[in-house]
Amino acid sequence: MNENIQLIKDGKRIDGRAFNELRELKITAGVLKKADGSAFIEWGKNKVLAAVYRPREVLPKHLTNPYKAIVNCRYAMAPFSSTEEHGRSGPNRRSVEIGKVAKHVFENAILIKSFPNTMIDVHMEVLQSDGGTRVAGITAASVALADAGVPIKDLVCGVSVGKIGGEIVVDLNKEEDNQGSGDMPIVLSLRSGEVLLWQMDGMFTKEEIRKCFDKAFEAATKIREIQEAALKARCEAVYQTPEEGYEAKPDKFTDENKGIEVV
Amino acid sequence: MILDEIREAYVKDLLTKGKRADGRGMLDYREIRIEKGIIANAEGSALASIGDTKVLAGIKFDIVEPFKDKPEEGTIVVNSEFSPVAHPEFSAGPPNEYSIELARVVDRGLRSAEVVDPKKLFIQEGKALGVFIDLYTLDNCGNLIDTAALAAMAALKCARVPKYDAEKQQLLREDFVGPLELARTVVTCSFEKIDGKTIIDASGEEEIASYGRVTIATCDGEMVCAAQKSGAAGFTADEIMGIIDVAIAKGNELRQKV
Amino acid sequence: MSDSEKRIVLPGETVSDSPYRSEGTFVENGKTYASIVSLMYEGKVIPLKGYYIPKYSDYAIGIVVEERFNGYVVDLNSPYAGQLSSRESREQFKIGDVISAKIISVNEVKEAVLVEPRRFWGGEIIEIEYVKVPRVIGKNASMLQLLKQYTKTDIFVGKNGRIYLKGGDTALTSLVILKICREAHTSGLTDRVKEFLEKETKTGI
Repeated sequence: MNENIQLIKDGKRIDGRAFNELRELKITAGVLKKADGSAFIEWGKNKVLAAVYRPREVLPKHLTNPYKAIVNCRYAMAPFSSTEEHGRSGPNRRSVEIGKVAKHVFENAILIKSFPNTMIDVHMEVLQSDGGTRVAGITAASVALADAGVPIKDLVCGVSVGKIGGEIVVDLNKEEDNQGSGDMPIVLSLRSGEVLLWQMDGMFTKEEIRKCFDKAFEAATKIREIQEAALKARCEAVYQTPEEGYEAKPDKFTDENKGIEVV
Repeated sequence: MILDEIREAYVKDLLTKGKRADGRGMLDYREIRIEKGIIANAEGSALASIGDTKVLAGIKFDIVEPFKDKPEEGTIVVNSEFSPVAHPEFSAGPPNEYSIELARVVDRGLRSAEVVDPKKLFIQEGKALGVFIDLYTLDNCGNLIDTAALAAMAALKCARVPKYDAEKQQLLREDFVGPLELARTVVTCSFEKIDGKTIIDASGEEEIASYGRVTIATCDGEMVCAAQKSGAAGFTADEIMGIIDVAIAKGNELRQKV
Repeated sequence: MSDSEKRIVLPGETVSDSPYRSEGTFVENGKTYASIVSLMYEGKVIPLKGYYIPKYSDYAIGIVVEERFNGYVVDLNSPYAGQLSSRESREQFKIGDVISAKIISVNEVKEAVLVEPRRFWGGEIIEIEYVKVPRVIGKNASMLQLLKQYTKTDIFVGKNGRIYLKGGDTALTSLVILKICREAHTSGLTDRVKEFLEKETKTGI
């Protein structure tokens, strides 16, 4: 892909960022009341809302899996979300594909074997887009899953890495994405060191790809800190953590096997 | 589902012994055959088969209106059809997510490598050529993406561009300007991860047992031009780098067959 | 890692370098990691969220949601329903009846078989997060005794996060239970609840 405009000037990117610099990133957990878990992410100009519903009966019924929970994952862009004309609502090929690869991320992250015969819904609603919405959505959805209390193996982090003006840069904005010579959205688990989502377009050499992964892992540590802060803030808001020490161990029932009745 | 489990256990059992059901090595393709030009009415066509998997690609040219943001470019559209003839679980109707993924991965490879230069499809203001590549899966015995990518590339290689009649403003489909100009040859290599082992060109049974897939599209000059990770498995960066090495080497072999 | 301090652990965080089975954790390659947002205190992981999964010999409060030729399907405030055979009871139940029952077995897909059904007549049901159930009960049922003493309400706590209230000042009881849930992981909770109940019952009368 040829770059028509100059995306790098004097070692800086068009929005003044350094090659490794992320756009401003803010995550708020628990923004919705009805959903079991939710998170709102503002990443550069991206605004994405993620909601999670607890494990429940599978619909349609024939999709039920007796070994594990199935994950329903929906990625959608609001018709007003981009700078271009009114988008079409409803799924298009792009959103179906993104929903599919995002689903695979959560099939890996969620302990799906703990909830056989159920489905877990993960929704990502892009309200405003500025490049990198899928990784923003998955980063938010990961926080929403934790907020919902769905058991997960890790808070997964997403970031896009790409090549512009011959340089490998992280967190591409819309213009860099459209005009650059290639991008790769990456979602990874820092705990296991595994890449859970990897897509790529544009032409890269092997060495460039290696560099992209290194940069993605580096960026993920920063992203994870923000995810953690969001969840801790949520805990403090909900559970009013006390100043003094916590005195009790998890209580055992007087009789482990019985509900307690006081008459 | 029960049958799937039995097959899965069989595949995994063999793999722990370092074997595959059809006697192949971990990084061997099944037999690859490509027949070009088998649909005379299409401007380009090819039937690719890897083992028993068969995908037919057909190419049609049409006059299209260029996109507003690219007024001097034609379009290339890749579509996939999972025909019910190919698998008992395929049904007619709107494409499912697997079909969409296949079309988009093949599309990304061709587009990133600029196999067809969209600027060369431009005719005059408001008019350009559209290249429609339809991928028909006829028999699904595993590794549809690689088969489809081969079919698409082979069909492009034998495609002939119909002549444009400026007066009638239509294509003269009996009259050809010449072959379609292609800049590069793109092929894909798909790897499946089963119980921690990575194999290339999975059969249908192996796909059932698989926990995840990585598809790498490569083009001439050892460049990687598209990639897609699919399925729940995670891959470490080192694993992916190893896979890319194989994909580049195997890609060179595949390119010679197209 | 200081064990005596209470801290929040998030999914993916290591909670122990050895395998350790507990709710809200999972084991991988011999290490234990948190899978749910939890409190960690004295080496124990206390999940702050979670969904009830039927367990053998739990008493639960269910709602009859479906009648079948040989029994009933009972909603247990869980992704998994309970099955109650009509042989277990001489009583006939209707859809919507609230019952307490004991879980006598759970199959491999986590469906529960229920016995000892007892229908609740009148009264109220409140639903709380199931991870808060131990807090509402308190050490040696101390919290429940306290509630009962001040509000004169009969209380039955199902392990699945449903609580049945009848008689006495049920409005005050549910208010206090919700307060307990909100402040579930704060210290000195019992004292504060007692203080609150004293104040409320005095001004109320």
